[in-house]
Amino acid sequence: MITRRRQPTLPSGRTAAERSELRRQARQLQDDQDGAGPPPRRRRVTSAWRALAIALAGVVLGLLLDAPGLHKSAVNQPEGWQRSVAVELTGRLDRISHAVYLDRPRAELKSALGRAQDDRIDTNIDIPIAAAPVPTTTNGEAATQRPPGKTAFSPAHPLRLWVAGDSLVISPGYALLRAVDNARSIKSVGGVDGQVATGLERPDVFNWFTSIREKLKELKPSVVVLTFGANDDKGYMTGLPKGVTVSDFGDPAWEHEYARRVAGVLDLINRAGAYTVWIGLPFTRDPGQSARFERINAIVGREIVKRPNTAAFVQTDLLMAGRTGGFAQYLRLNNGETVDARAPDGVHFSADGGAIVAEKVVEQLYRKFDLTSWRRHRTNGATATASR
Amino acid sequence: MIFPTATFTIFFLVVMPLSWLTMPHVRLWRIFIVGASLVFYGWWDWHFVFLLIGCTLWTHFWAIRISREQRSAARRALLTVALTGLLGTLAYFKYFDFFVNSSHNLAHAAGIGMPDWTRTIVLPVGISFYTFMAISYVVDVFRRDLRPVGLDRFAAYLTFFPHLVAGPIVRGSELLPQMRTPRDPRRVDSSRAFFLIGTGLFKKVVIANYLATHIVDPVFAVPGAHSSPEILIAIYAYAVQIYADFSGYTDMAIGLALLLGFTFPQNFDSPYAAGSVQDFWRRWHMTLSRWLRDYLYIPLGGNRKGRFRTTVNLMITMLLGGLWHGAAWTFVIWGGLHGVGLATERWFRERRGARRAGSSDRYIWLRRLATFNFVCFAWIFFRSDSLSLAWQMITGLFTRWGEPSPLVTLGVVVWIVVGIGTQYLPARIPQGVMARLSRLNIAWQSLALGATLMLANAMGPQGVAPFIYFRF
Repeated sequence: MITRRRQPTLPSGRTAAERSELRRQARQLQDDQDGAGPPPRRRRVTSAWRALAIALAGVVLGLLLDAPGLHKSAVNQPEGWQRSVAVELTGRLDRISHAVYLDRPRAELKSALGRAQDDRIDTNIDIPIAAAPVPTTTNGEAATQRPPGKTAFSPAHPLRLWVAGDSLVISPGYALLRAVDNARSIKSVGGVDGQVATGLERPDVFNWFTSIREKLKELKPSVVVLTFGANDDKGYMTGLPKGVTVSDFGDPAWEHEYARRVAGVLDLINRAGAYTVWIGLPFTRDPGQSARFERINAIVGREIVKRPNTAAFVQTDLLMAGRTGGFAQYLRLNNGETVDARAPDGVHFSADGGAIVAEKVVEQLYRKFDLTSWRRHRTNGATATASR
Repeated sequence: MIFPTATFTIFFLVVMPLSWLTMPHVRLWRIFIVGASLVFYGWWDWHFVFLLIGCTLWTHFWAIRISREQRSAARRALLTVALTGLLGTLAYFKYFDFFVNSSHNLAHAAGIGMPDWTRTIVLPVGISFYTFMAISYVVDVFRRDLRPVGLDRFAAYLTFFPHLVAGPIVRGSELLPQMRTPRDPRRVDSSRAFFLIGTGLFKKVVIANYLATHIVDPVFAVPGAHSSPEILIAIYAYAVQIYADFSGYTDMAIGLALLLGFTFPQNFDSPYAAGSVQDFWRRWHMTLSRWLRDYLYIPLGGNRKGRFRTTVNLMITMLLGGLWHGAAWTFVIWGGLHGVGLATERWFRERRGARRAGSSDRYIWLRRLATFNFVCFAWIFFRSDSLSLAWQMITGLFTRWGEPSPLVTLGVVVWIVVGIGTQYLPARIPQGVMARLSRLNIAWQSLALGATLMLANAMGPQGVAPFIYFRF
């Protein structure tokens, strides 16, 4: 039964603000009454079973309308039976949706928003064919190549810095941008492109090879600071070349393919004329995960050693290790201050931890590039002008 | 489990019919809903289910003891024990890291070596919310405002999954009576429920996430790298983001509870249309505001002990409200600013009230503008990771007006305007939409729901970012 409710009346002789406040209170009262008793007269109540039917039908319709996006989300899940089931179910849903044209509204909307590619599952790994590795000495230095002189940057011609990678890059990335904020010879381009739950194993989740290629064209960076690998400690890869299969994490086929992808990223950046600073993976609270991260670090390290003039590796495992040489949540800085260096998950860096890593990246940039001589030139110029 | 996920959708579509099927046998329903709520909570980390059970048993035990005790001093002692346990647990999870950091630094200053601490404390989702509900229950029992109920009803009240992880903070007097007798399955306010779920989903998934990723996160992370217009718009964007995020979640919570036959109190009432800071706190996170008023400000003496004590009480309440969000100076300053704002307003109101009451009504829009900008200024501290970053945001507002502002896009401006503008809509408009929705037949209502789900999913980013208030 629907009951009639009397609207609260407003007393006269009030100021506008008081009337406004009273109206608000009256509205509030009505809302409260909506909860406590029957709903307002104009709104119809319904039975629980009818509400359930609406919810079920609405969800089913929503599933059909969203089928392409759901299918992509299912494909992006970590390997396992849940993924297999989800891919199978959403694949069928996607086919039904397509057959009855229910996928069109979403496609049109995505297109209007300029995000037509969102639902595309892209596993194409377009990377340069690996060049012959440069022979190296035992300490990792190039044996035959002489390192070129330092490239100079200035405020008029700044070093263009782009930071990208998985979620591990976010905290050090922002700390790095803060650290170089006042360095007039360094300019951030593209901010911090940290894509959560991505890596080099699964281009279907996020295709870094395509993204890096496009961003290099768009941003024209001089230096790319990267981190990958935190989500790559699984034995499942997509985008494998024909005839290649990998079974377990760390098996020879996996290592070979992962090294090919790391080399591809490094060469892609090098061919665009940029230098790579690759932030290595830290120890984590889980010793098993730390061991897997060390294997990834070893692969990346080997590929970077082959390219001594175009890339550098910033090691974070020992940098962030405690006094016992393993994972440490808290680190003591040189000034004696103790900082909470890691996120509560025991994997990511906290803001303070990110700052420690960023400091090492900055050191690497100053070691590799001439970022300060413009000050001397300016001072000399000013002196010469003054003496004239 | 969080609301806008496929997992929760399946969970809810199973729980809803089972809830109505068991509802005629209300004791059975209570057991069922507690079990379902524990599954909901344990989905995130099953270890913390024991914490929730412990909190429930602890509160129930002491509430019964307090109600049976007649001697005033003994009742007070029992209440102290109950509150110490609840607040101690909350403090342990919220402030342990801060304590470890501080003790390490103190020990170092004193020349004492301390071993490396490899662990950190993971904050259980929603602990602040259910602890506050437990406190309100035990205090209400102590004050004899509420009679303690059986364990099954109390457990259903405290663990009820729609409010469990981010509120609203529902009082025992509001929810416990609803759980005494079966809800009427013929009278479900489904149009309001679907409206709240749809708008809440859109606010969170589309508006909050868009503003967070397109301007708020990059600018607040490195203010020095952004122009003054970008900083200004990022501050306004954060005001809309936190509103859309938090009110979106509670809208969904209220809607889900309605589908199960229960009513929660309203948690937001167009807060950016407030004409004063006091008015803002009547409209923002209303269930927390009234909790702070009734269980902190009034017990401290409220405004009954003179002007100076009133000011002190306001400051204490707002500073503790700030600290509730975390052990950081940024939150203390945020709370302090609101305390100063409230105290200053009160002072002006008292002076003006003595001379010419209500004379400034023609300036209502000016006061709304001033209040909104004051609230936004305070949000700078709330959102910034450190005081130095907050200071960079403030100085950056004035020093880089000539620089390019690539992050100030049409999309960002549109969502800010939508986020603020909708708060000025007359209440009859959403009421009218709900009324029209309720008159549609099942097919059209389902179509409206399905289309909303599609819109939110298609317009939002891939994946769902966690809700801001989960970490509190």
